Amino acid sequence: MRQRRAGDLKVVIAALAVAVAALVSVMTFADRLQRALKFQGSELLAADLVVRSHDPSKSEWTAEISRLGLQSARTVNFRSVVMRGEDSQLAEVKAVEEGYPLRGRLRVAADINLEDAPATGIPPVGTVWVDGQLIVLLNTAVGERVNLGSQQFVIDKVITLEPDRGGAVFAIAPRLMLNIADLSSTGLIQPGSLASYRLLIAGDVSLINTFRDWMRKREEVGVVLQDASNAQPRFRTALDKGEQFLGLATLVSMLLAGVAIARAARNYAQRHLDTVALMRCVGATQRKILEVFTIQILVLGTVGSIIGCTVGYAAQQVFVYLIPGLVAGDLPWPSLMPAVIGLAAGVITLVGFAAPIILRLRGVPPLRVLRRELGALPNHIAAVYITAMLTLAALVFWVGRDLMLASYVLGGSLTTIILLATLSYLLIQLVSRMRWGVGVTWRFGIAALARRAGSSTGQIVAIGIGVMAILLLTLVRTDLLQAWRTNLPPETPNHFLINIQPGQLTDIEGFFREQQWPKPHLRPIVRARLIAINDKSVRPQDFQDPFAQRVIQRAANLSWMESLQSDNKLVAGSWWRVQERALPLVSVEQQYAEALELKLGDRLKYQIADQEITVTISNLRTVAWDSFRPNFFLLVPPALLNGYPASYITSLYVPRSRAHHLSALIKKFPNVTNIDVDALLQQVRRLIDRVNSVLEYIFLFTVLAGIVVLYAAIQTTQGERRQEVAILRTLGATRRQLFIGMVSEFVVMGVLAGGVGALAAMMTGYAISEYLLSIPYRLHISTWLVGVGAAVTIVTAAGILGTYRLWRTPPWHILREN
Amino acid sequence: MTPDAIVQAEALTKQVQSPEGMLTILNDVSMSVRRGETLAVVGVSGSGKSTLLGLLAGLDVPTAGRVILNGTDLSQVNEDERARVRAGRIGFVFQNFQLLPSLTAIENVMLPLELTGCPLPEKEARAGLTRVGLADRIAHYPSQLSGGEQQRVAIARAFATNPQILFADEPTGNLDEKTGGRIIDLLFDLNRERDTTLILVTHDRAIGIRCDRRLELSAGRLLGALN
Ligand SMILES: Nc1ncnc2c1ncn2[C@@H]1O[C@H](COP(=O)(O)OP(=O)(O)OP(=O)(O)O)[C@@H](O)[C@H]1O
Ligand SMILES: [Mg+2]
Repeated sequence: MRQRRAGDLKVVIAALAVAVAALVSVMTFADRLQRALKFQGSELLAADLVVRSHDPSKSEWTAEISRLGLQSARTVNFRSVVMRGEDSQLAEVKAVEEGYPLRGRLRVAADINLEDAPATGIPPVGTVWVDGQLIVLLNTAVGERVNLGSQQFVIDKVITLEPDRGGAVFAIAPRLMLNIADLSSTGLIQPGSLASYRLLIAGDVSLINTFRDWMRKREEVGVVLQDASNAQPRFRTALDKGEQFLGLATLVSMLLAGVAIARAARNYAQRHLDTVALMRCVGATQRKILEVFTIQILVLGTVGSIIGCTVGYAAQQVFVYLIPGLVAGDLPWPSLMPAVIGLAAGVITLVGFAAPIILRLRGVPPLRVLRRELGALPNHIAAVYITAMLTLAALVFWVGRDLMLASYVLGGSLTTIILLATLSYLLIQLVSRMRWGVGVTWRFGIAALARRAGSSTGQIVAIGIGVMAILLLTLVRTDLLQAWRTNLPPETPNHFLINIQPGQLTDIEGFFREQQWPKPHLRPIVRARLIAINDKSVRPQDFQDPFAQRVIQRAANLSWMESLQSDNKLVAGSWWRVQERALPLVSVEQQYAEALELKLGDRLKYQIADQEITVTISNLRTVAWDSFRPNFFLLVPPALLNGYPASYITSLYVPRSRAHHLSALIKKFPNVTNIDVDALLQQVRRLIDRVNSVLEYIFLFTVLAGIVVLYAAIQTTQGERRQEVAILRTLGATRRQLFIGMVSEFVVMGVLAGGVGALAAMMTGYAISEYLLSIPYRLHISTWLVGVGAAVTIVTAAGILGTYRLWRTPPWHILREN
Repeated sequence: MTPDAIVQAEALTKQVQSPEGMLTILNDVSMSVRRGETLAVVGVSGSGKSTLLGLLAGLDVPTAGRVILNGTDLSQVNEDERARVRAGRIGFVFQNFQLLPSLTAIENVMLPLELTGCPLPEKEARAGLTRVGLADRIAHYPSQLSGGEQQRVAIARAFATNPQILFADEPTGNLDEKTGGRIIDLLFDLNRERDTTLILVTHDRAIGIRCDRRLELSAGRLLGALN
């Protein structure tokens, strides 16, 4: 008797430990990976933090940087004409200091069309490194000289990849890079000249944060801080989705952990009913009982959580070794935070999920000693689950990096649980009606379910949730990730052509035809400057958000469109109709609108050349920036900007091997600038692939948590089952009869749980892809069938495994237990 | 071997592992029960009565010795075949009733009938419950019945298949004197009607007296027949 108790305790600890282990391993790994991904984001900045300003960086800044022991490098960016004899060409000039880039690598080649390699250092004094395009446009070659300002430079190398060039759509000319030591000799930088100064900073996260806070406190006008989180929008989208997937996996495992703990706690309490009745009998007060069980729960929670944390840490470490080269560079060391959270989560969840049950224990009547059916645990699963959900909600908001995602998961789970509970209850009632129509063994199985309608519902809900999580994370996940990956098909545009003049449109289209390239989608751009919102003039310093500061500082690109592109999605308002094509309306990208705190109906005043125009926001939309097609924050109706100075932009896919065709195009249309985003595209692809392979493993853990839930749920009725088997054995039931009886119960339970669980998985998958990740998702009926099949198999297998031993042992000692 | 013995035990010994080492709870017990006989096993608490009953019914296996039940040597067959020997031919009444809580009264009674493939289990079960005076509690679950009523359901279940042997382990132990008396009367009445062999464990002398024969156990040993 005592021995069995101890065994039950072990089961509770194990359930808790596995749940916490899943939680900690997922969290630790996700945390490490997120930091690693952020590091990759840093590569796009060539730094962890960039301070952008219109004036050279102040000595106080550099003093603070060296005080903190951070690395830094300065760059100065401006536009200038580069000359070679008669030829001249506008270039995006960038002067860099030794150490640049602090993150990521610059890649250079010895000449155009030669293999590239990581650069060592920066351009030596007296030399420049340039884009291949500049060499073509200037009819020059590596080794020749070009003039920049009042100084002559030798072209030393061809730049093939510049990590922080990223969203080069704003760049209008090819790159020329020189050593910052040569800058003053060019005479190009005078006080008041239009240059952008950047101070690149890298180092330990906490030190970076210290510096960031220090900078923010100074509240300097015209200074913008930039880090990986507000890096390029294309990357942003990919990174966001990766983080969302990871966050989702973490939250789902937490939810599963909670459900497993709820079941385990209930089992635990159920087994202590007699003890409590006895304690009451011998005079224990309700307070005393509460004390005893609270202490027991706390000890249990701590022991289970500590084991779980240890296992979790070990597991995620194993898994880092399993996927070498998961992320570029080393994975940062795990922080202790997940362990702290895991410990707390274990104890809190156990207490939270066990509290409603423990409180009931207090009220167990002493009379139970005589009549065992008295004071049985009520099947207030609603109360248990609601308390549990609230506990989880608290945890999620505490841990949660993403409140949106958290509320989606919680809202979704709550809806799912209520749905699951209602559905299972109704189904159980329905099935129990049928119990007279089946044989003894089947009836026995169904009766067992129906008799415990309440706890069976709880059990089915728990199994359903397990099934749902497992399905969501195996089948649905494949669909989701596939959908994400195919957002970047092999022929994703890798070049942008900008600055095309209206008069060149037909010739450009002709050139495309000759090359047998698909007809280009030429998008017009009118450069405009935002000067007022709702008649109130705006300045960059009016906004906190660095992104908002930047869009106000810079000229915006206004484009127009008849109808919405497929990679854009309307989220508010309505698209213009044909009769509105000349009205002063504007469609605003959502992030842009959020940064500037814009809403439908707001009036935006733009300056275009020397004219002003006021447009009213008629709709908001989201943009899938990672489609690598020309996209715009601002769109106006097609006929509104007739007569304004426009240039055109298009994107196209050109295989690496045929890049020279583009040189021909540039020669023919010298004003057109070709921007090569191939390297960026590769970076995004690599990122997606890595996140994908990580997710495979993280999902594996969540699946494990799902299995624990199944186990805990099946464990719930194992005690009653022992007694049933013993009695049936006594009455002479054969192994075959026992087997069929048991299987029938598990099959009915599996069908019910699998059916509703799979339904929930499909709905959740749909909701997540549709509303959260904005990727198309199709519902597959096979998902549902697989769900039912898997549930039946797992539940039956686990159930049989759990009872199999009983069939071979004499029933006597089980009968004696009561 | 006695020719008309339906249950025969030879040198039964049962030892269990306890914290203080091996404990012998039944020591070299030999006995036999004739067909149609009623036998009372008496003795003080802890003397090994229930242990002996469990071994005789094949619900547990002895450490040494053997039991021949209805012609089958239980030590020669496996758990599954021991169950087959019991099916339909052996009935049980326990001190703590051992009804299945998930089944109604009639479903509990139907259980042994259906396990043996009886063609009209429901009719038989209904008749059995009527016989024990529970015609109006057919669809009740065990938790909705009093102890005495539960024991009557258990008796109806025990007699449902017209077993050759009935094992009863202190069937009145959980009941008050008056109810217990009625239960014992019912048990003996049915036993007479059906001509069943009865092996009854009790420490109530009055009940023991009603049996043809009494065996007394003391500290795991048979003291010999009492008359
Ligand atoms: N599995 C076991 N492990 C340890 N001890 C056991 C086990 N089964 C029985 N015993 C011990 O063997 C002895 C005999 O038990 P048994 O239940 O047969 O007694 P009993 O004569 O039926 O007593 P009662 O009249 O109280 O029911 C007791 O001391 C009991 O504690
Ligand atoms: Mg006994």
